[in-house]
Amino acid sequence: MLPLGCSRRLVAELRDALDDCAERQLQLERSLRVSRRLLRTWEPAETPAAEPTPEPETDEEAPPPADTPSPQDLRELELLTQALEKAVRVRKGVSKAGERHGALGLKSAATSRATTASAPPGASGQAGRQTSETKPPRGIHQTTVPARGLPECRLPSVGDRTRMGRGASTTKPRPSLRDQQIPPSATPRAPEAFTLKEKGSLLKLPMAYRKVASQNSRLWAQLSSPQTSDSKDTASMAKTQFLQKMKTTSGWPGSGLAAAEVEAEAGLLRKACSLMRQRMEEVLSAEPADRIQEYYSLLTLEGLQAITEQCLHRLQELRAAVAGQQLGPWTEGRCCRASLSCEGRTDPTWSPQLLFYSSPEELQSLAVLGLRVAMLDQQIHLQKVLMADLLPLVGAREPPGPPWLALCRAVHSLLCEGGERFLTVLRDEPAD
Amino acid sequence: MGRRRRRGGREHAVGALPEAIAALSQTLPAGPSPEIFRRAKFDRPEAAPALWQLLFRALSPPAAAGARASPALGAQVRLVKSALCSQGYPRRVLAQLPEDGSQGSRELLLALAWLLARGPLLEHLLARTRVWLGDEIPLCQYEAPANPGPPAPCQEADGPVDIRHLQWLMGKLRFRWRDLITSQQELCALLGKIHSYTRGCHSDRGLDHLSVAEIELLRDPEGGRQLLQRLESENTRLEAALEWRRRELVFWQWMDTVLGSCPLEASPATFLPRDPAPGPGELELVARELQSLHGELQGAAEPRRAAWEAKAGGCGPEWGAAQRATQEAVGQDLAALQRAWEQGGAPAQPHRPCRLVKRDTRAVEGPGLRAAELTGALRTRESRLEAALGRLQTRCRQELARLAGAEPGLIWILPPGR
Repeated sequence: MLPLGCSRRLVAELRDALDDCAERQLQLERSLRVSRRLLRTWEPAETPAAEPTPEPETDEEAPPPADTPSPQDLRELELLTQALEKAVRVRKGVSKAGERHGALGLKSAATSRATTASAPPGASGQAGRQTSETKPPRGIHQTTVPARGLPECRLPSVGDRTRMGRGASTTKPRPSLRDQQIPPSATPRAPEAFTLKEKGSLLKLPMAYRKVASQNSRLWAQLSSPQTSDSKDTASMAKTQFLQKMKTTSGWPGSGLAAAEVEAEAGLLRKACSLMRQRMEEVLSAEPADRIQEYYSLLTLEGLQAITEQCLHRLQELRAAVAGQQLGPWTEGRCCRASLSCEGRTDPTWSPQLLFYSSPEELQSLAVLGLRVAMLDQQIHLQKVLMADLLPLVGAREPPGPPWLALCRAVHSLLCEGGERFLTVLRDEPAD
Repeated sequence: MGRRRRRGGREHAVGALPEAIAALSQTLPAGPSPEIFRRAKFDRPEAAPALWQLLFRALSPPAAAGARASPALGAQVRLVKSALCSQGYPRRVLAQLPEDGSQGSRELLLALAWLLARGPLLEHLLARTRVWLGDEIPLCQYEAPANPGPPAPCQEADGPVDIRHLQWLMGKLRFRWRDLITSQQELCALLGKIHSYTRGCHSDRGLDHLSVAEIELLRDPEGGRQLLQRLESENTRLEAALEWRRRELVFWQWMDTVLGSCPLEASPATFLPRDPAPGPGELELVARELQSLHGELQGAAEPRRAAWEAKAGGCGPEWGAAQRATQEAVGQDLAALQRAWEQGGAPAQPHRPCRLVKRDTRAVEGPGLRAAELTGALRTRESRLEAALGRLQTRCRQELARLAGAEPGLIWILPPGR
């Protein structure tokens, strides 16, 4: 058995590591659930599209073509959309039926799906743009007389409809209002299931969302932009003065070193150590090609040595401060040490950056690498902690005899083989 | 409240305080009402619990803040005290406040102001609950806790364990990582599909396709409404934060008066016994590492210096210039190295979240990261870390060999496959 303090520390460390993994796994599973659900067939009650007729999009991967809809088509489309919006507004006032026959009310954009105008009436309501409205259509029974009239005029050049769908949706930001309901045609049809694969390109974000989202990013950008100098200066002066006053009125003669700061510095020193060690390895492994390089290596090593001495000195100061009880009159432990300090290292108001990837494989390898790096970080940390506690135990050689051998074997496996392999110990009996 | 705002003169300054406090209270998560602030100035006891809770939310680690139900007031009080302590809060009055959270509202107000003055507290709190609309993959580094925190309220016996328990935990950890990697791969495949199926749907041309959150919004109207609500309330808070920035000077002037109205502290009392804050363990570890590094550097540099001095005889005059140039270069090199750790981290490791965008690489211009470059950077990092781990393991091997070698009559057969 390991001594008590050692056991507690090591078990706590390993548990922390396991908890960290468990949390990540939880998040991953949440995301997986959501994504899987999106890729399955959506429940009829939820489908936004569900135009019954359209031909399934055969080739999603077809490259978007170069042709764009003619201006005339766009104008007609616009007119149609406006008319339909008006019809919806009228209708909305009339009926608020909330039956969830999702498919019926919402038509896919004619421009992307409508096959021929001879498509059944269901297709006829399609002149309007695909709405992202997932609310159930209202008034299935409202035969949309006005609406029906409209779509009969086929959009002429809707020949290349799929393309037009995309092209139009990108060239003209014609909004489909969130509550724009394209009323169903006279004959309700059984909804076809909506799958992302087939009809994903028809989706369109509601206007309300887009407005709010853009306002959101604008506000964040404002928050993170540097403030005007005058107001910032006076405010920061006021703040500094306040902090100063707080200190002087407290009657506290402390050295000013907070526990969190000591810890942060210790972290920096640790980092310094590893960076310097890395540089040292690089220097030692390189073969100097000429005198200058030799001299360079020599100076580098000596310089590193000097810096290490400085770091050790600083460490001594920190230890003295800690030992000298100058850190404050408090008795509690130090949870939440990391909360503000590690946040401090990242600017909280950064807007998310874009990360472009070109294929799922590329994304996979990137993600896996990210995880491997995190795992290695964790392993190195655990290795150091284990070394600090276990090596002295082996050195102490107790309990003597076979238990010590078992300990050696276990420690070797943990520390040198990552717990994956074991060595064998043979007793070499002298031949009698 | 409800004073009129008037431009210019004292009236302006005085009148702006309620607006400033209102902005502050709106920005803070579940912020206390402006009335609480005013009562706190007069140290009214009824204002105390709200302020304790506010500080608890501000100071607890981000993950914990949202996840579990908030602990009892007493636990919150203790946590706030210890967090402020470790941050270096200068006033001792706080430590002496009762744990039932019934008093000390003025002191808490000062503590809040102290936190606000020291750093971008509001921005951090806003960022914690920020609504992310894009898809991302975890690329952050593992933040090793510097020291094992106080062990969580213990499930099993806290007694000494056998080393086999440790081995078992390590094995469990290995398997968990394996699972993580598989799940992540699956998620990436799904995201790839989702992104390609929704190409061209986003109103923002730069993004081109929808993210999972956005598609969810479309699929589930109820969820979509909630998302909209969250965005809207975040917008309100952001506007309040900007408003606060414009008006905060008045607040600081007011806080001066609050501080002035506090009774002066008594002379420093005796120190209460307490544990050394970051624990000797942490500093010990670093000290040991630095010592061993120092030893190795010395061991490497001295012989080289000796060899160099021995050969230095046959240098021509042109050597002087080369020598100085080399010294300069090494100096700059090492200075850059020092900056690398002092400034806390290579910029190549973004902590900031990245929104995934699937795009044909040929078509990508403009700002943003490319997966290929990041992959390259991560590979380098991975190999460095592997090398570091390998070195640590070798050191252990050597150390163990030394310790075990002293024991006669034993043969140690190392495992194969190294």
